[in-house]
Order: sequence, then C-alpha cells, then structure tokens
Amino acid sequence: MLAEIGTLTVGLALATALYAAVAAFLSLRRRDLRWAESARNSVLATAGLLGLALLLLLVAFLTDHFEVRYVANHSNRTLPLYLKISALWAGQEGSLLLWSFLQALFAALTLAPFSTLSRFAKEREKDRGERVRVIFLTLITAFFTGVTLFLSNPFVRLELVPADGLGLNPLLRHPGMIFHPPTLYLGYVGLAVPFAYAMAALITGEVEGWTRAVRRWTLAAWLFLGLGLLLGARWAYDVLGWGGYWAWDPVENAGLMPWLTATALLHGATMQEERRGFRIWNFLLVSFSFVLVLFGTFTTRSGMIQSVHAFARSNLGPYFLTAIGLTLVGSLALVFHRRRLLEEKRPSEDLLSREGLFTLTLILFVVLTGSVLVGSVLPTLTEALTGRRFEATPDWFDRVTGPQFAVLTLLLALCPVAGRRKLEARRVVPALMGGAIGVGLAALSGFTRPLALLGFALTGMALGTALVEIVRDVLARSRREGESLLTALVVLVDRNRRKYGGYVVHLGVVLILVGVIGTRMYPLEQNISLVAGDLTQVGRYTIVFEELRQDPPASDRLSTRAIVSVYRDGAYWVTLQPRLDQYANSDQTVTTPALRAGLREDLYLVLTGWSVDGAAATFKVFVNPLASFLWLGGLIFLAGGALAFWPSSAGLRLTVPQARRRALWNTLGLLAGVAVLVAAGVAMWGPGHGATAQPSGRPLPGQPAPDFTLTLLDGSTFSLSGARGQVVVLNFWASWCPPCAAESADLQAVWSEYQEKGVMFVGVAYKDEEAAVRDFLTQHGQTYPVGLDPTGRIAGLYGITGVPETFIVDADGRVARFYIGPVTAEQLRVVLDGLLR
Amino acid sequence: MAGKGKFVFAGLLILAAVVYLIISNTGSTAHYFLTIEELRAMGDRAIGRNLTVSGAVLGDSIVYDPTIPQVTFTIVQIPADPKEVERAGGLAAVLKAAVNDPDAPSLEVVYNNAKPDLLRHESQAIIRGRLGEDGRFYADEVLLKCPTRYEEAVPDQTEGL
Repeated sequence: MLAEIGTLTVGLALATALYAAVAAFLSLRRRDLRWAESARNSVLATAGLLGLALLLLLVAFLTDHFEVRYVANHSNRTLPLYLKISALWAGQEGSLLLWSFLQALFAALTLAPFSTLSRFAKEREKDRGERVRVIFLTLITAFFTGVTLFLSNPFVRLELVPADGLGLNPLLRHPGMIFHPPTLYLGYVGLAVPFAYAMAALITGEVEGWTRAVRRWTLAAWLFLGLGLLLGARWAYDVLGWGGYWAWDPVENAGLMPWLTATALLHGATMQEERRGFRIWNFLLVSFSFVLVLFGTFTTRSGMIQSVHAFARSNLGPYFLTAIGLTLVGSLALVFHRRRLLEEKRPSEDLLSREGLFTLTLILFVVLTGSVLVGSVLPTLTEALTGRRFEATPDWFDRVTGPQFAVLTLLLALCPVAGRRKLEARRVVPALMGGAIGVGLAALSGFTRPLALLGFALTGMALGTALVEIVRDVLARSRREGESLLTALVVLVDRNRRKYGGYVVHLGVVLILVGVIGTRMYPLEQNISLVAGDLTQVGRYTIVFEELRQDPPASDRLSTRAIVSVYRDGAYWVTLQPRLDQYANSDQTVTTPALRAGLREDLYLVLTGWSVDGAAATFKVFVNPLASFLWLGGLIFLAGGALAFWPSSAGLRLTVPQARRRALWNTLGLLAGVAVLVAAGVAMWGPGHGATAQPSGRPLPGQPAPDFTLTLLDGSTFSLSGARGQVVVLNFWASWCPPCAAESADLQAVWSEYQEKGVMFVGVAYKDEEAAVRDFLTQHGQTYPVGLDPTGRIAGLYGITGVPETFIVDADGRVARFYIGPVTAEQLRVVLDGLLR
Repeated sequence: MAGKGKFVFAGLLILAAVVYLIISNTGSTAHYFLTIEELRAMGDRAIGRNLTVSGAVLGDSIVYDPTIPQVTFTIVQIPADPKEVERAGGLAAVLKAAVNDPDAPSLEVVYNNAKPDLLRHESQAIIRGRLGEDGRFYADEVLLKCPTRYEEAVPDQTEGL
C-alpha cells in the first residue's frame, strides 16, 4: 500500500511540475494573470507532493517496510534510528528523490511571497521574470522527478518480502558520511536558482540586476557545496585509513568543478554589481556551473565514467547526457542571441589593474575547471583521440592543477591591492613581506624543499595582503571616527559583511592551501611490525606496542584493538587504539584508524593485521604535516561565508521594535554559528579518534629509571639509587595475575644464575595484599627480594598499564629495556649478558 | 579593440600553458588504462610501464600476510567499454559473470601494503602499478568500488550488521 501511494505521489508531482511550466508559459503568452496564479499554486503543490513522498519513504524506513526494495537494501531491523534516517539518501533512488524534492522546494522558495505580491495587475504583469524562472525551475524539477519515477523509483515493491533488510555498510556510519550527501545536494540544487534567474534575465532582457537579486542563493549554494566537499574529505581522512583526504576521483572532481565556477561567478557578480562589467562572463559562468552540476550527477549515477564512487547502474546515462547537451547549447544560444544587449562599451583597463587581474582570475578559474574536467574524462578522451586509453592519476592532477592553484594564490595576493588603473609597486610591499615571512617560517620549521617554499611564499603573500588591508582599514577608521581599534574593527565588519566575509574566506582558503602543501609534499608513511612490548622510532615519535585486545563479540562482528603508546621527542604523548573489525558473514574488514592531531602534524595509526599466533601486530603509521590547517582553514572558510551571507540592516530604515528584533536574530545567529564552529572543532581536535591519555608514560630505553624506595617483605628498604652500579631487574607483578605465575619460574631461574654476577632482582607487588603475596612466593619458590606497592605509586612512576611488566635498569640507572607482559628466561639472559659485558 | 587584445592574448597564453601541462603529463604521469585482455595483448611491451588495470576480484585468491605487509589476489577480465557493460546487463552482472568464468583472462596482483577493507569477492578493482617480469602485477595503489553503489544487484557487497 505504502509503496503504491509513494509512486502515485511522485507521479502526481511530475504532473504538477509539468503543469506549472505550461501554465507559466501560457500566462506569458496570453498575458493572463490567472494562469500565473495557477502556475504558482502548482509549484507549491509539487514541492508539497515530493515532500510527502520523501516522508512516506522515511516512514517506510522507520517502520521496517521491507516490501519496499529500497528499504530492504539499505536498512535492517537493528539499525539505529539516526542511520535509518540517513539511509534515505544512501542509495541511488532515495538520493534522486531527495534531489527532486529540494529542486521543487527551492523553486517554491523563489516565488515572491503572496503577501507582498503587488495587487496592481500592471506591475505584476511586468514581472515576467518570475514566470520565466518558474518555467525553468519546474522543467528542471520535472526532469529529475521523471528520472526518479520512470528509471529509479525508490518505491519499487519486492515480490517476496524479506524478513530483514541488508543493512547499511559500516563504512557509512560516520557523521561526515551522513551529512555529506545532503549538503552537497543543497549546493548542487541551489545552483539551479541562479541559473534560472540568469536565463530569465536573458529572455526578458533585464540583464543587469539578476546577480544582485540572486546573490544570497548563489552564496548559500556555493557555501553548502564547499561544506559538502570538506565533509567528504574529512570522512575519508577519519575513516578510510589511507591517510589522505582527496584522491582526484572523477566523482570528487564532479563536486569540485561547479564549486570552482561558482567561485568565479561570485567574484564576477561582485564586479557586475559595482557596474564594472563582466556581464557576459557571469552568464557564461552560471551556465557552466549548472551544466557542471548536471555533469556531476551524471558522473555519479550513470556508471559511464570509471570511478570507485560511481553507482554501478548505467541506464540513466543517456538521459543526463541529453539534458547536459540541451542546457549547454540552449544557454549559449541565449547568450549569443542577446549579445547586443550584453555588450558594453568600456575603456579597457590595464592588465595589472583591478579589472585586469580579475579577468585573469576568471580566465584561470575556467581553465582550471576545464583541466579537471579533461582529467576526469581522460580515458574516454584519449581513446577517442588517439585510440589508446590513459588514466589521469592523482599525480597527473597535482602536476596539472598545482601550477594553476599557485598562480591563483598569487592573484589572491595581488587583486585586493590593485588600483583601478594600475598596480602600484608600493601596494605590493605587504604581500612581499608576507611572502618573506612565510618562507622564513617554513624554512625554520623544516620545510625546505624549493617547491614547498614557493608554495609557502605565495600563501604568505596572500595572507600578508589580506591582513595589511584589514589593518589599514581599521586604523583609518579609528583615526577618522575617533573609535578604539576594536570598535572600528567591529563596526567595519558589521557594515561590510560581504567584504570582510570575503577576507575571512580568503584566509580560510589560504590555510587550506598551507595544509595541502604540508600533507602533499611531505608525506611520511611507514609499515611497522611489532611484538608486544616492542618499540620503534618513526620521525620524532617512539611507538610502543603494548598489547592486542579483543572486545567481547557483538552480534556477528569481532573487534580487535591495539593499545599503542606514543612518545614524542622521548616524552609520553598519547595512547592510540586503532581497531580492526571483522564481520562474520563477509570477508570485509573495517579498519578504524586512531589519530592524534597536533598543530605541526598529525600522527595517524592504522592496525593492519597481526601474526597468526597474535604475538606480533602490524601497523601503518602516517605522519601528516600541517593536516590540522586543512580543517582549521575549512572552519574559517565556513565562518567567512556565513558572515558574507548574513543580511545586514545597514541602510534600512527600521522602527525601534523592528531594529530590536533584528538585533535579536543577529545575536542568535552569531551564537548559533559560534556553537556550530566550536562543536565542529571539538569533534575534530577533541577527545576521540581512538586517542586516550594515560597519566604518565614509561621511561624509554636510554632514559633514567625513576627513583623510588620500597619496603621489602623482610623489613629492609630497597632504594633504586642505592643500587647504582648494579644491574637491576625490576618486575611488577601481582598474585592475582595468571601470566605472572607463568613467568615466575623463569624469573627465579635467571635470578639464581645471575645473582652472584651482581645482578639485583626486585619484585614489586602491585595493588596486592601481604598474605596473598607471601603465599604466592612460597608456592612458586621466589627467593629474590619483593616489596609491596599497595597504592600503585611506584607502578605509576613507571607508567605501567597492567601486570606483569619488567624493566631492566643498567648500572648507570638508565632503562635498558622493558617488557610488557610475561618475560622469558631467554629474553632476560640475552639482555643481562649484554649489560654485564 | 586594442585594449581587449591584451586580455585575449593573456587568455590564450594561459590556455596554451595549461594545454601544454595536460599533454605533457598525459604522456608521462598518466597511466595506460587497460583491461586484462589488452594487457596480455601488449605482451612484453607492458613490462615496467606505469599502467592502470581494472578487473573483478576473486575472493578465494586473497592471501594476506600482515607482517610484511603484503596482499596477493587475482583479478579477472571485465570489459572497459560502458556500452559493452550495459549490453551485458550492467556492472553487477558483468562482475558476477567474470568471477564465475573459468576461462576468463586473469592477472595476479601483488600489493605490498595493508589489505584494503573493501577487498572482497566480486568487487571491482582498479589497480595502478607495473607489470613485473614474472607476469604478476605489482600494485602501487588498489582502488575498490564503494559497496553501496552495487545495491541489490550484488547484495553481498552491501551487507553490514
């Protein structure tokens, strides 16, 4: 029943969408506003119907309606609630339905509110723009709804209803993966709105004001697209365990390309609104952006482009290709048709003027997007051109796009300071200083490769320009208005949200670039194999593998954790617990890396396996320099975008209650924004990611053994410093510990052999009682001195995490070796022999 | 317009520089993208070159030694042309047919790295690396298809808990 209603709802929505387009068209043709009313109502109905369909699908998930094939494929009875919700967009059909709904919703949101619609027929007649927009947006909605209904229906019924569903792949259970598709879709679908505005502008001939009218939509769509990309990258970093975050996969590129052209569009629109031209540019950029959105969904869904992210089904390909072709040809034809209207007779400025540099920036954005596109389709392209198929590897992309990003960074540094006519040399000084500081800092921090230094020089320049510009503005205002520096800053930011939002976005982007330079140019990756208690050195880090622990089995999953303590420059830093989960019913494993982020670099640890007997474990260690800058830059980027988006009341005449309400919204918005950013920060750099901290670490080999005094069972006192000159074997144990019983014979044997050679053996009974200890000693025949450490204070000095552990201290009082877990006689003899030589 | 001219020139210059970057890198860093059949057809010429091969993974052949670490597995031929895949009934059908075909051209892959989580029977693998003298393919990177993308066509791939 539910499935049929769902299909019916989608079918109805398709009908209303098509009707709306026809009605809007008729209203224009016949100049009859009743058709316009009808069209508006249909747009709302479409949004409502698709929303209902989505709701029905959600209900199907929440109530385990496994007769619906889509639900059976992505959910099961035991799936947690929040994952059942996110399963809605986990697959092809559901995500297309979500897309269609968003498309219809946005179409409805662009309608002028009924309350402010002019009652005067003549004025409304004139607003042909809205009706043309409606035609475009409803046709786009109809396309996606049609594809959903006929080719990819989520409400398809299964003949045999399964008892339980297949469930959601474990890799998808991460907030990044949950929010990544919807935010991307908000961005993709959002870009349809500026496109519709642009096409309406061309058709009605009102070619000047469209960018201003649609500015918030463009900005919002661009922000969400950027957020979606960042979330995808963070998910890959957190979960996938290859230490990276961007693989230049065609589907990843599909999200990047419209983002690049939308960035160019935002900049071009700014220029157009300042009456500085770029009209044709903006029409072309918005058309490219929307065509790339269609191309993006084509890449992901058609299976026609080799990508590990692409859906396997391919029956959607030809339809999307047709849509792409029509849109591209149609929009270009429209621009060409209106070219007279768009041409501007303007004196052309110098190449190095603000306009000139802007033009170069836009050209570069388009060429950059083009090269990413070429790379994404390189196999098809090269096969068509040369008969041989080539694949663009990440290396290819880095080499082709790297120089372009470098030049864009340079333009980022120069554009803000370029004058109307030309670029004055003295305005470039802050950039040059910034560049020099950047190079200096980088070199001091150890990044000395020429290419890296060039990158840091450019990012330094961009930062230098931005910071100096802000400082100049603040100083000028403060002097002029007599305000304090802080007040001047706040007022400037408040009054020029777009400009300062832009500065903050630039700052965020530059930080991301710094992170990219660090992680891409200084990758450190190592495979290590360790026995429990063993340690190894990776860079400045000493990695000690303590033990392998298996969690109690859960349903059909076996989870194994490695406890690894990490020392940085010899001092204890953190304990990491990377995991490897094995699923009984498939040979799939899920490795969950453990990660500790630092300012300078991230330490990233993956448990890759263990030897058959469980004695040794293998790990992959990544040291990712400057990785934190990526995410920090991302947060700043989002903050800047939000600032630019936030509507300001400057220039509006408001009554007191209106002003007060605005101030309230502003404060709430600010608090909400700060809360979101702080939450994101905590999620990324806070606790979790498999990192925990012990109160202290162990003294590493070569470091002095912490001194202590121990009251022995016979009443005498043992002091470690007093034993200087002797080799000391310090054994932490307890009577309640079975492995301690196992090793006791070995310890006793070696003690008897080496006692006369001057080796001291001391047993420290950890959190134990005297009676039990004496019993144990009598039972196992230990004759070496033993003392009690009932509070674990001495054990704490040595940072032990369990018993038994043994430390061998040489004659100079330094730790020679330690053993985590039981030690064998052979191991002891080898070390002692070496020390006694 | 003389003024516009310098922009056109600058634009063409940028375009030319990037086109050069694309072409020169396609020649050097891009990988030949081959099916196993095409790889075999190249014979000895394939040895030592940077190549990318795609195929379907045979689950039984996966051997993993975590102490090195090294994983070896065999992949079998799947067609590269999307139209051919479509004609054969979609990627899922193609993968299933490939792993059940005893005569399908196969390739042994050696990957000196941790076993990728998604490496399992019937998954589509894209392998970048070089063909060794011994006929085995030494992989630098192994990319495996994201399992949700298979959906009900290959239900095993989507199984979670």
